[in-house]
Amino acid sequence: MTMLQVRGLTRVFGGLTALDDVSFDVHPGSIKAIIGPNGAGKSTLFNCVSRFDRATAGTVAFDGADVSRARPSSLVRAGMARTFQNTQLFDDVSALENVLTGAFAVTSTGMLAAALRLPRALREERLARQEALRLLRMVGLERHAETGAGDLPHGLRRLLEIARALASKPRLLLLDEPAAGLNASETAEFAQALYRIRDEGATVVVVEHDMGLVMEVSDEIVVLDRGVKIAEGPPRLVQKDPAVIEAYLGQEPGDDD
Amino acid sequence: MDATSLLQFLISGLKNGSIYALVALGFTIVYAATGVVNFAQGEFYMLGGMASAWVMTALHVPLAVAIAAGIALTVAVGLLMERAFLRPRRDAGPLVLIIITIGASLLLRSLARHAFGANELALPSFTSGPSLQFLGAAIERQALWVWGVTVVAVAALWFVYERTSLGRAMRACQVSHEAARLMGIDTAKVVMAAFGLAAALGAIAGIVVAPLTQTSFDVGARLGLKGFAAAILGGLGGFRSAVAGGLLLGVVESLSVAFISSTYKDAIALVLLLLVLFLRPQGLFGHAERVKV
Amino acid sequence: MSAGRGVSLLGRWALPLLAAAAVSVLPLFTSDPYLLKVLTFVGLNVIIVTGMAVLFGYAGQISLGHAAFFGIGAYASGYVTTALHWPFLAGAALAVALSALGGLLLALPSLRLKGHYLAMATLGFSEIASILFVEAKSITGGNDGLSGIPFASLGHFRVDTPQANYWLVWAVAMLTLLAVAGVVRMRPGRAMSALHGSELGAQACGVDPVAVKVSAFTLSAALAGLAGCLYAHFLGFISPSSFGLETSIVLLAMVVLGGPRSLAGPVSAAVLLTLIPFMDSIVPGLSSGVTTWLQDWRGDLYGIFIIAVMLFAPGGISGAVRSVRGWQARRQAGEEAAP
Repeated sequence: MTMLQVRGLTRVFGGLTALDDVSFDVHPGSIKAIIGPNGAGKSTLFNCVSRFDRATAGTVAFDGADVSRARPSSLVRAGMARTFQNTQLFDDVSALENVLTGAFAVTSTGMLAAALRLPRALREERLARQEALRLLRMVGLERHAETGAGDLPHGLRRLLEIARALASKPRLLLLDEPAAGLNASETAEFAQALYRIRDEGATVVVVEHDMGLVMEVSDEIVVLDRGVKIAEGPPRLVQKDPAVIEAYLGQEPGDDD
Repeated sequence: MDATSLLQFLISGLKNGSIYALVALGFTIVYAATGVVNFAQGEFYMLGGMASAWVMTALHVPLAVAIAAGIALTVAVGLLMERAFLRPRRDAGPLVLIIITIGASLLLRSLARHAFGANELALPSFTSGPSLQFLGAAIERQALWVWGVTVVAVAALWFVYERTSLGRAMRACQVSHEAARLMGIDTAKVVMAAFGLAAALGAIAGIVVAPLTQTSFDVGARLGLKGFAAAILGGLGGFRSAVAGGLLLGVVESLSVAFISSTYKDAIALVLLLLVLFLRPQGLFGHAERVKV
Repeated sequence: MSAGRGVSLLGRWALPLLAAAAVSVLPLFTSDPYLLKVLTFVGLNVIIVTGMAVLFGYAGQISLGHAAFFGIGAYASGYVTTALHWPFLAGAALAVALSALGGLLLALPSLRLKGHYLAMATLGFSEIASILFVEAKSITGGNDGLSGIPFASLGHFRVDTPQANYWLVWAVAMLTLLAVAGVVRMRPGRAMSALHGSELGAQACGVDPVAVKVSAFTLSAALAGLAGCLYAHFLGFISPSSFGLETSIVLLAMVVLGGPRSLAGPVSAAVLLTLIPFMDSIVPGLSSGVTTWLQDWRGDLYGIFIIAVMLFAPGGISGAVRSVRGWQARRQAGEEAAP
């Protein structure tokens, strides 16, 4: 049973085909990387899979269920969480509040229960806070629990967004360029964090530019170029694939996704 | 309903529609230059009519002088409003700017009441004389003034936008303020000009219709809302849409008075506003916005 | 706003409890009907503004039409208790239900609208309601208004004195605050704040923007309708002029002054702004000329005021409090770090 099954995913914007008949599987408990030169369509792929964008054609199945028409918030409740290339944090509240909000999908206190302060609501709130602090500790942010998310430096913001995504206890985690802006030692720490996430039972799909990180952590890599999948396989094979090498060598600097 | 009555309603609709078109143009100009919906646009309409009428009766000046004074005063208010209330926070989010223009509209309405009194005022018709006959229907002379003024105003606007450097600058700002600045355009001046033009258009609309309907300090809100309805009916995209939206709104409103009821006349335009907002916010001629992730 | 570290449960409740106690015993110290009337108006505004704080301060949705819901509640209860002789509680239930329905009907089609489009839609809705209040004469009495609305009654107990009305309104206000405080501090409130902070981020947390907008609108409309019902039975007479655009703008001014993500801010603002036009009844020795002047210049002052807050203190009261707390925390951290 595959965790994620993408079939024939196509996204056309006016005259531009950003994704062209892309298909791949993601197996449970694995770490899959999606790489490609600038403009390859990686973020578009993420957006279509997580339903923040609507594909023109193709299907997405998550753990066997067709989610091609789902609303993005329903996917989170089903167990798929994601981060964004431009972090979408709640800047006016604390890091802790951000992570707590991430737990929305796995908690159930509604307006009435909250208004009446029912015991189960209070208990759920207490447990959610403990879990949020644990997640902050896991990414090394517990010192900043009460800091406003808007005040955090760039690298910590990305970590916070990952912690928030983890709060929904996802079975599939989509990370969009999580290591952007991290230095060598931070990247190494991040790789360890990825392993821990995988060991806790999640499947991870990562869009990344950092080749060292990608080669080290991935079980499999999908390579996109101009919307088309040009290679898929374990790192050492993809690394040697002539089509992949050519795609990267022919890349123009500054292209946008 | 016979053809003559229908024609009468149509004429009435086109007359009102021209007014809506002028106010809609005011909304469109400011929106194009700043991305802000100016809630005080209706008050420009009110100020034009009220100031002119007050100047004429209180200072005993000829009509032409009163009209000029009314336009000048409204434009001054519009420029002052932009400079003092909006420019300091021009980089704030849309919510802040909306609230500022809401506050401004309340302020202008209340100041008008203090300055010009709470009573209704009126201007005399620009030219006296009986209504003209057209295919059995009557056209008031002032209605001809309404259409004439609208045509001249739209033509003048077209000229400014297409043939002057200011117009070029305004078109550049419509695309992007940053790009405009890179081209050396003073975006602050453009925004000021936009407000000045919008105020002038609103004032002219208020003045030219004042002889037909009396005016008072509180007419701004509802007329502004109708003007906005006209603007988005066409789609907040350009001048043609604003004019088309205005005329269409006027005619639809008039026909619904003819066929439904006159009691709820104002509600028609408002219901149309809601329908457009709910069903097709880009208007008849606009493009749907794509949310970029 | 998240509670600061080290603030005990008692600390957080101390001030509200004190305020609640003060509010409750006040009528025992005065029987001036005018003063009690003014303070009852304060209570009514607190109810409406609490709802608007949820909608605007937490969920970030702007509404220029809340006076319409206030009016729907007032006319609904006013009409059925006069023309149809319904008992008060039934009228109140209808008032809340109809205004909630109104909020729902406005919110559902407005879901995709943001910023000025949403503001215009609420304004259009409010103006349509105003027209209906004036034109549906058989129900509303038109411009002449609806009179002879009976006092509220709870069972056999008629709320027919200024003190009783004060207590009824403030009991509802305090219960409302208690309930809504629970909502905004816990999961539902976080979902609303999330929507305000980043709609994409909120969706990435599993928050459905549709559900949040609809529930925030419905809740705030229901509260405005409840206040409207209490208002109608308190005054005995209502007319369309109380439910128009200027009232909506005044209410907006209160939440704007109050600041985002806070109940204490908007409530304080509601208290302040409602009291100021009636200052002569509170400050002894102040001539009634001041009051007349304030009421005459009400619109101008509110207009200037809204602009001034947006220009100079866009965070409102709650923003100012947070800045001060942040400054205090930084100073404390600096002191602790010093050798």
